[in-house]
Amino acid sequence: MSPRPRPELVADGYSPSRPRWQQLTTSADHKDIGQILICGALGFLFLALVELVLMRIQLLVPENTFLDPVTFNRMLSLYGTTSIFLFALPLVLGFFYYVAPLQIGARGTALPRLGQVGMGLWVAGATVLYAGFLFTPSEAGINPLSPLSERAFLSNNGVDAWAAAAGLATLGFVLLSINLLTTLRTMRAPGLAWRRMPLFAWAATVSSWLMIFIGPVLLAALTMLMIDRNYEGTFFADGSGGAPLLWQHLSWIFFTGSYMLILIFAFGAISEITSAFSRKPHFNRPVTMASLAAIAVIGTLAWMQNMLTAPIGIGWMYYAMLMALALLVPFGLVIFNLISTLAGGTLRMRAPLLFALGAILSISIGLASELVHSLVAAAWHLRNTTDATAATHFALVGGAVLGGFAALHYWFPKMTGRTMGESLGRISFWTILVGLLLGFAPLFFAGTLEGQVVDAYKYFADDDVTAYNVISSIGVLILSVGILLNVANAIFSRTNGPAAGHDPWGGETLEWFTLSPPEPHNFDVLPDVRSAHPLRDIREAIGHRSRRSEQAASRESQPVA
Amino acid sequence: MDTLLWIGSAVAAILVIAVAGALLFVVRRYRSERGAEPRQLLSGHGLQLRVGGALAFLALVLFVLGVVFTGNARESRATGSSGLSSLKGEPLRIEATGQQWLWRYDYPNGAFSYYELVVPADTAIELELESTDVVHTWNVEELARKADAVPGKTNRVVFIADEEGTFGGSSATLSGQSYASMKTAIRVVSPDEYEDFVETRKEEIDAAEERVADLIAEGETP
Repeated sequence: MSPRPRPELVADGYSPSRPRWQQLTTSADHKDIGQILICGALGFLFLALVELVLMRIQLLVPENTFLDPVTFNRMLSLYGTTSIFLFALPLVLGFFYYVAPLQIGARGTALPRLGQVGMGLWVAGATVLYAGFLFTPSEAGINPLSPLSERAFLSNNGVDAWAAAAGLATLGFVLLSINLLTTLRTMRAPGLAWRRMPLFAWAATVSSWLMIFIGPVLLAALTMLMIDRNYEGTFFADGSGGAPLLWQHLSWIFFTGSYMLILIFAFGAISEITSAFSRKPHFNRPVTMASLAAIAVIGTLAWMQNMLTAPIGIGWMYYAMLMALALLVPFGLVIFNLISTLAGGTLRMRAPLLFALGAILSISIGLASELVHSLVAAAWHLRNTTDATAATHFALVGGAVLGGFAALHYWFPKMTGRTMGESLGRISFWTILVGLLLGFAPLFFAGTLEGQVVDAYKYFADDDVTAYNVISSIGVLILSVGILLNVANAIFSRTNGPAAGHDPWGGETLEWFTLSPPEPHNFDVLPDVRSAHPLRDIREAIGHRSRRSEQAASRESQPVA
Repeated sequence: MDTLLWIGSAVAAILVIAVAGALLFVVRRYRSERGAEPRQLLSGHGLQLRVGGALAFLALVLFVLGVVFTGNARESRATGSSGLSSLKGEPLRIEATGQQWLWRYDYPNGAFSYYELVVPADTAIELELESTDVVHTWNVEELARKADAVPGKTNRVVFIADEEGTFGGSSATLSGQSYASMKTAIRVVSPDEYEDFVETRKEEIDAAEERVADLIAEGETP
């Protein structure tokens, strides 16, 4: 973690270099901010797991009294907010923020202070959300639908704290994205044209654009909610010209866009990993790049897929169905290209690749079941059943947890100079995969066959869903153990892992050209970029040169006849 | 409605099996232990176009199926021969109002009931869903589609019950503390029983209202 000691001027009156924590908290360096975001996100993942496990204990048996309904609703709201705003999005942006500038050969970012402010806003948002514990957390659910979120129905300050937290964090994400996008557009190394962009850096570009579009939509909605609650506004209040459905439109644009953003991140990271661990170039870069951009656009345009039971016109429902089904093409092409990249290669089955393959499987399960949800008449059955819970969790746990851990295992050597423990990595992977399947697959059956509804703090014995819920609760416990094992692995390996060197995986992109961890200025020198895989070009050039010198040497050593 | 659900689920299962099978195949076939050099395969755009085209075709087929089956689900069958005969081809319109944490049903003759909706068998029913407070989702899985009751808007659900009996349902959108207990039920009865039910209800309600009006006139608090 700590960079090797640099030469220092030692003279009277000069203070020695500041302690590490001071450096870290005042730094605008993209690597420091990226690490703070990633570490913070993993910490909040732990809190989200605690909340999820508490809810699953309550749902272990019918009519359980472990949590009362108000506490359950608070856990539900905290769990949803923590896992999206405090875990998934900062983890994703943290990796983009750390890795993407390195991948394009930038010596820093374009607007470092803006990014620093963005990170600070996210920390402020997280603090506000959990400071809500001091009074009362929100009870309004993962997406607090208006009018339940209005003061008339929830008069305590929980929803205000939620709105402030979500708003601060979202504003932070937008600022981070602006800096990232500017950097990616203006600071690429000589020769690094868009078509030669590493796919992960391309995913960062697409995601930044996406966040810059969807973030302000949520900010607008949250501002309206705050005015409604505190200044007698009527944006979402019915009866005085307000429209409860307006909140649903605005919030679903953000949440659907975030869902796509998390998956775009996962596909970006997986495409780097599949390439490196099969020793093959990506199967078709232009098509994958176009598909990632299409996912961002079409996916976000499908927001009304979440409103198929609301009183909106049937034409809008068909439109949402068309957009959601159209996603089959870009998602299918990306997954096809990822698996085809592996075919014909020589696969090193190390932890990053294992997590990446698990992520592809889990995301596929989630997206395939999302496909059923987009068929209007089927959604009229499945909407707000636990089937939806399962679909969302397979896609997002696949993207943010499995995909995020794949990225963590892959770039951990770059960040710390050490590799994460391989056998513990394998054990945690299989634990997570088994936990995920046990934890959420039963909910498909409970939702589709028995119609168990979401967000309810209890179910009844005659609902016939007890067995599914018992298995699900056990699965979630196993999932949590696996996740904690992997985080423990990261904490332990940070100081004790085997030394990695600057390029442990034989990567092909520029981040592997510099030291691990990189110096504050990232690169002393940069190679000319002439293809999408500059490091392979260098290796080949070295190979040619050494072969030539060997030939020359063997000619010289031949005896003169 | 159910048919579309099963078609969709089958397609989803096939897609998942295809991805899982492909992953399993490449992992078993292309281990580095086999010692071969990786083949530097790149795909031409022709292959991508074919794969993308196949996916687009699948999406289009699903879309058409979705529109057809959704269209069917939106149209209620006409009232049958053994249904309520006094409607002259019109569906029986009943208002359903969601409120924290109870459903109220208003029948055409002015009678109303809480929790339980009574409908005649083999009769086209049109529910007009409204809400007086927050968003509720009306959800009686076995008889009809889910639909949201949103304040200020009217959402319509059409259905027809073939058999007599009682069907339970629960709400499906978080509406506050007692959301989990916000249940409802539909009791399907013969048309004669239905007529009896609404008439008796109407008389009881009128009598109760008169009694209350009398009490107020006498200066008492009811």
